[in-house]
Amino acid sequence: MFREIYVLYKREVKKTVRNPAVITIMIIQPLMWIAFFGSSFANTPHEFLQTFFHTSNYIAFLLPGELATSMLFIGLFSSMSMINDKRFGYLKKLMVTKADKSAIFFGKVFGATTRGVIQIPVMILAAMAFGVTIPGNVIGIVEWIIGLLLLGVGFSALYLIVTMNSRDWQTPNVIANFINLPLMFSSTALFPSSFFPVWMRDIAEVNPISFAADLGRAITVYGDPDPIYLAYLAIFAFVMVTIGVVIAKTRLSPE
Amino acid sequence: MSEVDAIETKDLVKKYGEFIALNSISFNVKQGERFGLLGPNGAGKTTTIKILTGLVPPTSGTAIVAGYDVVKETKKVKERIGWVASEVILDDDLNAWENLEIQAKLQGVSDWEKRAKDLLDYFGLSQFIKRQVGKYSTGMRKKLEIASALLNSPEIIFMDEPTIGLDVNTRSLLWNTIRGVNKEFGVSVLLTTHYMEEADSLCDRIAIINQGKIAAIGTPDELKSKVGGEIVEIEVTNPIDTGGIRSMENVIDVSQNQNIVRIKAKKVERLLAELPRVIDFNNVKSLRVEKPSLDTVFLELTGRKIQEEETDFRKFYMTIRRARQ
Repeated sequence: MFREIYVLYKREVKKTVRNPAVITIMIIQPLMWIAFFGSSFANTPHEFLQTFFHTSNYIAFLLPGELATSMLFIGLFSSMSMINDKRFGYLKKLMVTKADKSAIFFGKVFGATTRGVIQIPVMILAAMAFGVTIPGNVIGIVEWIIGLLLLGVGFSALYLIVTMNSRDWQTPNVIANFINLPLMFSSTALFPSSFFPVWMRDIAEVNPISFAADLGRAITVYGDPDPIYLAYLAIFAFVMVTIGVVIAKTRLSPE
Repeated sequence: MSEVDAIETKDLVKKYGEFIALNSISFNVKQGERFGLLGPNGAGKTTTIKILTGLVPPTSGTAIVAGYDVVKETKKVKERIGWVASEVILDDDLNAWENLEIQAKLQGVSDWEKRAKDLLDYFGLSQFIKRQVGKYSTGMRKKLEIASALLNSPEIIFMDEPTIGLDVNTRSLLWNTIRGVNKEFGVSVLLTTHYMEEADSLCDRIAIINQGKIAAIGTPDELKSKVGGEIVEIEVTNPIDTGGIRSMENVIDVSQNQNIVRIKAKKVERLLAELPRVIDFNNVKSLRVEKPSLDTVFLELTGRKIQEEETDFRKFYMTIRRARQ
């Protein structure tokens, strides 16, 4: 099983790495968020920033949120890659081998997550260039990165759940675009929940993007991360993967 | 195990909603045989392959492939088969070696590197191992796909419309490849095609399939003789007495219209050998042999020509061209 997942994972990674245009855009896009969106509060009074964002540099607040959002958008790659494999018949080819169908699912999940991971160091360096200081809290940083990985795994699995059983290639994309923005705005990725009306605060509190963002913010803004966030993200990833495996084994359609 | 058929299907039915794609299909493929499913587009050929390769379950009926039930023992079936799709399915971003690696590891082939090297050698692709498959020619891609289907040393290889869309040269090259693979690797071949000449030249036996049903099964010769034998047409200077010809055991029917004698026989070669005993060849001006083709068989069995759809398309295309001018 591991051999099968690994060879399919390797395929996903090779396809990404061999496409310089995709990598470039993948990195530039979040950088633009940091540069443009991150700079949009640059001239607001420091007291305002301190009061609402607990930092004088909004980018320090945004970076973890933006990385978490990236994991959400990157999840979409797993779905697109699955759609492509269906359209070009490649999935049929995989499904005629004796390999377990869940191996196909895991290959895509890990492939997409890896795409997201590539962005992490680039974004952190870029934020540092904009004056964000990253304290040398190694355990905290590791927890943050693991949190992002879990988030990426969870969202990749979620998008695959939508795609695996679908014979149509447009619907999954439409659904994905439909849920992407609400998920992003109803989290604390861009703003603290204290800005939100009560009903939206409730959503933000259970939104996995918020957990990953706050885990990172513990490093860049507040101080020590709360490991319980990591546990929540692990539960999110576990639930999504479990549903994904069941769907892969029972309902994965070759076309 | 040796005398078990490579494929054995019984009353296979596949319904997609109300639509009946396969309507009770039964046939056997012997070990080492090249077996063809011949029929027009939409006849149910691809559906049959999908069921036999374990991609979709049948609605009812049974299929035993390489000795295992395709529904109950799907994994065992998949271990023992290879599949070549009508459209070449390879990952264009990867090179030949990487494509083979994926296939080998998913099929759990031990010592796959040696096997892959041997196959690439056999197909003459060794020097292109590191080249991206997207840059391969159509013929090379097809060969690589067949090589990839052979990695797990399958007992049976399924080929869905193997030469569709290929030019005449590549097609005949591929026919030789398929014959070679069948002999050298001792693998049974089940192929689908809607080309008469392909089925005729490539297959030991053929099942003619139309609208989800098998219309006839047999060797190409058997099928042709089913239609009523082969014809010899003799132009004679003076009308002859056909009694002698009629009494020959190989002959099905004789008719004479003025100076043309038309003989329908089971086997024309035998007839020609024996003909000099009953007629005087000094009286013969010309002689013409007409062998029935699978086209005739198909027309007779199904009441329509297999290429009808393509012809319609050509007509449609001509109309468009004319409209443009």
